[in-house]
Amino acid sequence: MLLSIWGTQSCSDDGVYELPNAKAGLQNDLIKRSVGPNIVGSVIEFAYAVAQLPSEGNISEMMVEASIEGATGTWLENKSFDSNGSVEIGGAATTDGKITKVTFTKDTSAATLRYVYVIPEEAKGKSVTFKFSAKSTNGQNIVYNAGPYMISDMDMVLDLVAKDTEDAYISIADMKVYSAAEAAANPSKVDLVYLYRSSPANFGHALVAPNADDKYLPGVSLPSGLTNGTKLMKAFTVRDQQLARLQYGVYVDDVDLQTIDFTNAPNFITGMMAEYGAWVETADGTYKAYVYVNAVTSTTKEIRVSIKRLKVK
Amino acid sequence: MLITENASCYVSAFELLGSDLLTVRTKAAVIDTIQQTIHVEVKFGTDLKNLYPQFSLVLDAALDPKIIGKVDFSDLSQPKEWTVVSGNRKVRKTYKVYLTVQN
Repeated sequence: MLLSIWGTQSCSDDGVYELPNAKAGLQNDLIKRSVGPNIVGSVIEFAYAVAQLPSEGNISEMMVEASIEGATGTWLENKSFDSNGSVEIGGAATTDGKITKVTFTKDTSAATLRYVYVIPEEAKGKSVTFKFSAKSTNGQNIVYNAGPYMISDMDMVLDLVAKDTEDAYISIADMKVYSAAEAAANPSKVDLVYLYRSSPANFGHALVAPNADDKYLPGVSLPSGLTNGTKLMKAFTVRDQQLARLQYGVYVDDVDLQTIDFTNAPNFITGMMAEYGAWVETADGTYKAYVYVNAVTSTTKEIRVSIKRLKVK
Repeated sequence: MLITENASCYVSAFELLGSDLLTVRTKAAVIDTIQQTIHVEVKFGTDLKNLYPQFSLVLDAALDPKIIGKVDFSDLSQPKEWTVVSGNRKVRKTYKVYLTVQN
């Protein structure tokens, strides 16, 4: 049986392997490289491969047309790479509205170019399609249609740093950190107060709603007008890939924030450390968010967080 | 659960998890199988309304009522009660769980 299996893998009668013959004509293929929710400001990335027999001609142009114009930074690679480095096979990509194009300047019959689409604000909550196409010098054309891909309704901000006490006021509504003076000027926007206390034991780094009991805001003199009753739930092992940028393949998606239940949730969380997180609902119920803790520093009383937020009302 | 001839009826271990599914105990729970009490000290800042108790019972025993989700322990003056039922279903012992919060 082993001999018969070995026999079927060879392409010749004498059992010697031969390279298969490439098909004639211009051919293409596509891989979507990015995974996870498609969030405004982040990217959707593809690798688009085009090839034909050298005897038929060379690639003259590769192009991508998006159904919704990409944001600034949308580009198409113009280099081919190998283990020795890279070689430019075309001029720098040009983007005109929805179309990004590379015109080839080197004789190349096969290329795989990376396409990076920066998701624009206009695409939020909509679906996007892509038309990849190529032309060759012998007059052939080929098209590969991709999508539709849903764009998330979430917003995301990375690496906000809050400090106890200078910039300790976090706004989910504005996705910003405020100083005490800024918080006093915008009290309705302040959803969380960050503080660090070395005692009582296990207090540590805390995220607390402005309306929480004083024992969860020891030594804090809140700016006037801060009254939001934010709800929080402590989480661990939710190391969202896009917020944490670690090795875990976990993603917080729109449906997670739409369905999470904050009934009986408290208005404080203590003992936060790196890789912990907090599910948050603003006092007026407008936003639900996941706040991921990237890092904490006890000596300087700092916390670095990244947030995914969804408008639910 | 299978009914056996085992008449033993006690709690052997007790765990209490928070909403992050990590322990909220500061140290091991103190279980008194004679008085049928469990005393647990939880960390300062524990959300007492959303806790998940986990009982370890003697072989073949069952717990009544079953724990199916979060339990609200916020009324510290009213200990929660669970009844351990022996493997032969003839012995029933009700345990009270007392929580205190670390200062």
